[in-house]
Amino acid sequence: MSPVVARGGPGGGPLGRGTQWDGERASRGTRGRNLRGLIALLRPYRARVGVTFAALLLGTAASLAPPLLARAAIDTGIKKHDTTALTLIVVAFMLSALLVWSMTYAQTYLVGWVGQRALADLRIRIFTHLQALPVGFYESRPAGVLISRMTNDVEALDSLVTDSVVTLFQSGLTLLGAIVILLVLDPKLALLTFAIFPLLAAGSLWFRLASAGAFRRTRETIGAITAYLQETLSGIRVVRSFAQEPQHEARFALYNEDNREANMVTVKLNALYFPAVEMLSGLAMAAIVLYGGFQAIEGHITVGTIVAFVALLAYMFDPIQQLSQLYTTYQSGMAALEKIYQLLDVQPDIVDRPDALALGRLRGEVQFENVSFAYRRRGSEEEQVLALDHVDLRVAPGQTVALVGATGAGKSTMAKLVARFYDPTAGRVLVDGHDLREVASASLRSQMGIVPQEAFLFSGSIAENIAFGRPGASAEEIRQAAGAVGAEQFIAELPKGYDTEVGERGSQLSAGQRQLIAFARALIADPRILILDEATSNVDLHTEGRIEEGLRRLLANRTAIVIAHRLSTIRQSGHIVVLEHGRIVEQGTHEELIEAGGRYAQLYEDWAEQAA
Amino acid sequence: MTTFYRLLGFLRPYKRGLIASWALASLAMVMTVLIPLLMGHAVETINNGASRHAASAARAHDRHTLALLAGALVVATLLRWALTYARRMIAGRVSLGLEYDLRHLLYGHLQRLEMGFFDHQQTGQLMSRATVDLAAVRFFLGYGLVFIMQSALTIVLAGVAMLAINPRLGLISLAPVPFVVVIAERYGKRARPAIQEVQQRIAELTADVEENISGVRVVKAFAREPRQLQRFRDSVGRVFEQSMVATRLEATFNPIIGFLPQLGLAAVLLIGGNDVVNAHLTLGQFTSFYFYLNMLIAPMRALGVMLGLAQRATASGARIFQLLDRAPRLSEPPNAPALPEGNGHVQLRGVTLRYEGSPEFGSPDLALSPNGSGPRARAVLRDIDLDVPAGRTIALVGATGSGKTSLVSLIPRLYDPSAGQVLLDGADVRGLSVSSLRSAIAVVSDDPFLFSATVAENIAYARPDAPLAEIEAAARAAQAYEFVERLPQGFQTRVGERGQTLSGGQRQRLAIARALLANPRVLILDDATSSVDSSTERSIKLALAEAMRGRTTLVIAHRLSTIALADEIVVLDRGEIVAQGDHRELLQASELYREIVEKGLPEHVFMTRETREREVSGI
Repeated sequence: MSPVVARGGPGGGPLGRGTQWDGERASRGTRGRNLRGLIALLRPYRARVGVTFAALLLGTAASLAPPLLARAAIDTGIKKHDTTALTLIVVAFMLSALLVWSMTYAQTYLVGWVGQRALADLRIRIFTHLQALPVGFYESRPAGVLISRMTNDVEALDSLVTDSVVTLFQSGLTLLGAIVILLVLDPKLALLTFAIFPLLAAGSLWFRLASAGAFRRTRETIGAITAYLQETLSGIRVVRSFAQEPQHEARFALYNEDNREANMVTVKLNALYFPAVEMLSGLAMAAIVLYGGFQAIEGHITVGTIVAFVALLAYMFDPIQQLSQLYTTYQSGMAALEKIYQLLDVQPDIVDRPDALALGRLRGEVQFENVSFAYRRRGSEEEQVLALDHVDLRVAPGQTVALVGATGAGKSTMAKLVARFYDPTAGRVLVDGHDLREVASASLRSQMGIVPQEAFLFSGSIAENIAFGRPGASAEEIRQAAGAVGAEQFIAELPKGYDTEVGERGSQLSAGQRQLIAFARALIADPRILILDEATSNVDLHTEGRIEEGLRRLLANRTAIVIAHRLSTIRQSGHIVVLEHGRIVEQGTHEELIEAGGRYAQLYEDWAEQAA
Repeated sequence: MTTFYRLLGFLRPYKRGLIASWALASLAMVMTVLIPLLMGHAVETINNGASRHAASAARAHDRHTLALLAGALVVATLLRWALTYARRMIAGRVSLGLEYDLRHLLYGHLQRLEMGFFDHQQTGQLMSRATVDLAAVRFFLGYGLVFIMQSALTIVLAGVAMLAINPRLGLISLAPVPFVVVIAERYGKRARPAIQEVQQRIAELTADVEENISGVRVVKAFAREPRQLQRFRDSVGRVFEQSMVATRLEATFNPIIGFLPQLGLAAVLLIGGNDVVNAHLTLGQFTSFYFYLNMLIAPMRALGVMLGLAQRATASGARIFQLLDRAPRLSEPPNAPALPEGNGHVQLRGVTLRYEGSPEFGSPDLALSPNGSGPRARAVLRDIDLDVPAGRTIALVGATGSGKTSLVSLIPRLYDPSAGQVLLDGADVRGLSVSSLRSAIAVVSDDPFLFSATVAENIAYARPDAPLAEIEAAARAAQAYEFVERLPQGFQTRVGERGQTLSGGQRQRLAIARALLANPRVLILDDATSSVDSSTERSIKLALAEAMRGRTTLVIAHRLSTIALADEIVVLDRGEIVAQGDHRELLQASELYREIVEKGLPEHVFMTRETREREVSGI
């Protein structure tokens, strides 16, 4: 379930501020391209699309037959006492009904099939595109916005493709057919009947536009209620502790009242519109009876024609009402399409060169050569924040280097450059002497392991999560990896062992347990280079010891770059690099740095004072 | 069925509106049913007129009759318009009032349920009762009932009219009606779960996308794009398959529902037509039949759909009643006295606490599943005796699950002990007015919850009418003033789930300010477990020292610096107090304490950044 949550009021939420991404700016220039894109989605299924339209055409034509057949039944059958003709007409009537039945079946099925197929293709295309985009792309966009491309926007397209297109053709054809039939039957009476249509069309359009706003308002108010309820439930402990229940009930009553008022607007609009349409159709009927009746009495038209006219009224009122609905669906569908294409148009800026070098087994030497890096601020291309400033560093194969420094000193940036999540703004990053821009990403990353700060697990079993590190790992290998990092014991205690589902993002496990699984995942990949962002939050007593042990196993025999937070880890690593404002200010072992009495020694003193 | 009658009970306050809307609907339906009758007469008149001699007086009379009939059509149409408009407005008001009442009742009830209830419920389950189920009930009670009544009445009135005109033809042409109703109802019953399953699979797909976006670094780091793409393809495939199940149902049922009424029409044309030829039926009556059947197509379908809705609303109603019937278990005695004067003397006497680990509601499909499991009714606190004199600060130390949080939750009476007594300033907390008790106690939790409101509103949470000067003073004392001033709109900046993102350290200082403004006798602190940088650490320490001054304080301590603030330390292990004393004493006396201090507590976090709230996790 995805609850509709209203964007925050004044101030707005973190997602509330309109990014250039969320803007509904379907400019006219791109609209044509978007429509072509939509048609391109249907191209692989053009045979089925053709059959669908044929079924639509045939079904609509057949559905127009009954009023005409009723007319024939009255005029040529009943009035002329010709029972044979009457029987034939009824047979034709049944045939047309059967035709409508089969064509409706075919059309419903085919529209569903083609529409869903095309949307599935689109989803996969967006997903593949997202996968190709570099990590930097994700950092500048809220996840919610990207997710909504794949969900809300694709669903908006769904109603455009499956509902609107069908409505457009079906209602359009029905309306056209009815108009032609009426004109042929009796032009004068037809024109009299049509007099009511401008009113109906204008009223319907007004209603759709007014109610689109009103419905948006009801969705917003119900979203606010849901959000408030959710918040109260999340913060129920605080509410209880401060005994503020009456305050919340009073606030909730306000939200509730807002929602009622918003709904009342739609009730009023509906009450204005629907009965009025019914009335218009009644008035049209009266007009046909009066004028048509006089004509019939004079013998200018037949009684059957009058019956057909009245019966055909519904064939015009319904389509006009439905066509008026198209406008809003069309608008939101096109806006969604625009947003999807904006995403698909983003070109990945980190791609392998055509002649990229596939790396063999690495020794694991990492080198920063005069590397500078600036993050590009979203929105402004010029304003850049320098995160690394002429950094030189060589990490020997098998060495563990601890990066130490305050927030924003550049530790994470260095780690990201090694994984080639970004390319440096200046200078080179080399692995075993190869510039990363010249190697094939897959061959680099398959020899690189990353353990993020908050161990990110995928939904699935523990075994699947560990095996994520190496496709096709055997159960035995998974067990060994878990054993090596000290995760075996807690896994064994779980009711389903390795088959235990970890829940969304591993929510069924504790932070420490997730950490151990992330270690096992990295270990089973047996990377030559390991990048580790140490977790900052404390875990419980028992897991703590295991994590230290697991870490030791993980770091052994490979090059490791650790963004270190724990003193034990820092001391353990052979080499400490102290970063400040994007520059390396000191490096050496713990003892050397304490001896030197520089920045590191000062940090250590601060820490010791805190601990006392 | 009892659920159904209980649901109808919600309509009681709206009896008049309900009767009015039913009466208006009935009258409107009479008008609707009149129209085909008038049409029949008109056609009869036209037919007669056309067969007479051109200049005869009878023909002039026919013209006059026709004009009258057209006038009657206009009158019926206008009356129906007015009646329907009034009915919609009244029924809409009833429906919305009902929705308001139900929601208000449910929210108020949730506010009265004790804390223990929420420990065992998933928020999502409660949410779905308050939104999805409530919507189903109010839609049915508000619109569904009127719709059923209206559709049934149309069918009955039209049926009566048809049977009155010609019983035989009436019976034949009405024959498809029950089939259409039954098939439409069956379609609704089968289509709804199918569509819900589509929604469910789309939700899974969304979760899949979310996971891939949030975990993009991990995917890229291990170069596992192909595996993720394959899994996503599977998800997309599952959505497609289920969509086709729903489409197939629609393709099967919808055309049949459209076809069946055509059989009635064909019967009218054939049998009725022959009757007219044989002069058993007039052409006008024949026309009336034809229009009646056309008119019935929509109500037949609607009746079936609405009957399906009734079943769904009853099921939803059962779930709502289950919640409403769950009585609050932690209530205050009638005319409970306020907390007596005092300075915050806290006593626990022989306290044992067991949580009820069992799910609240029995049957699996309705069960609000329990949150967390574990042995049923295990004692989380056993025989606790603790005396905290007014003004003293006690640190609670122990491993995860040792009962620290449970112990402090007893003082503001978030739970009642299973045995023993909790006293504040000499009074058993169970005998006191809950609001007077809780306003004397303030809690600062380890992961403080802020509401989506301004900073000022959050600080003034316990006293919404506090003047800005006091709010600012509290913020100053809690070392929060400086960073709040730097926020985009200062104290008017919106924070919380849907507001400005604050760091853990900032949220904690706001929570301390919130507690300070409440000016409690007893302060309960849960020290943050996640670390903050050293300057933040220092300000929090200052803020805490300020907050503790002159109050009884119980602090759940995770770091030595916090323990240092306490007069006395209590060591908990598996729900029991195993040692008590000051730091030096305990280092000597308690092995557990020593172990905790050595391994669990020291700030092994040496240097860190403030944990930033991020959309994308990882390095």
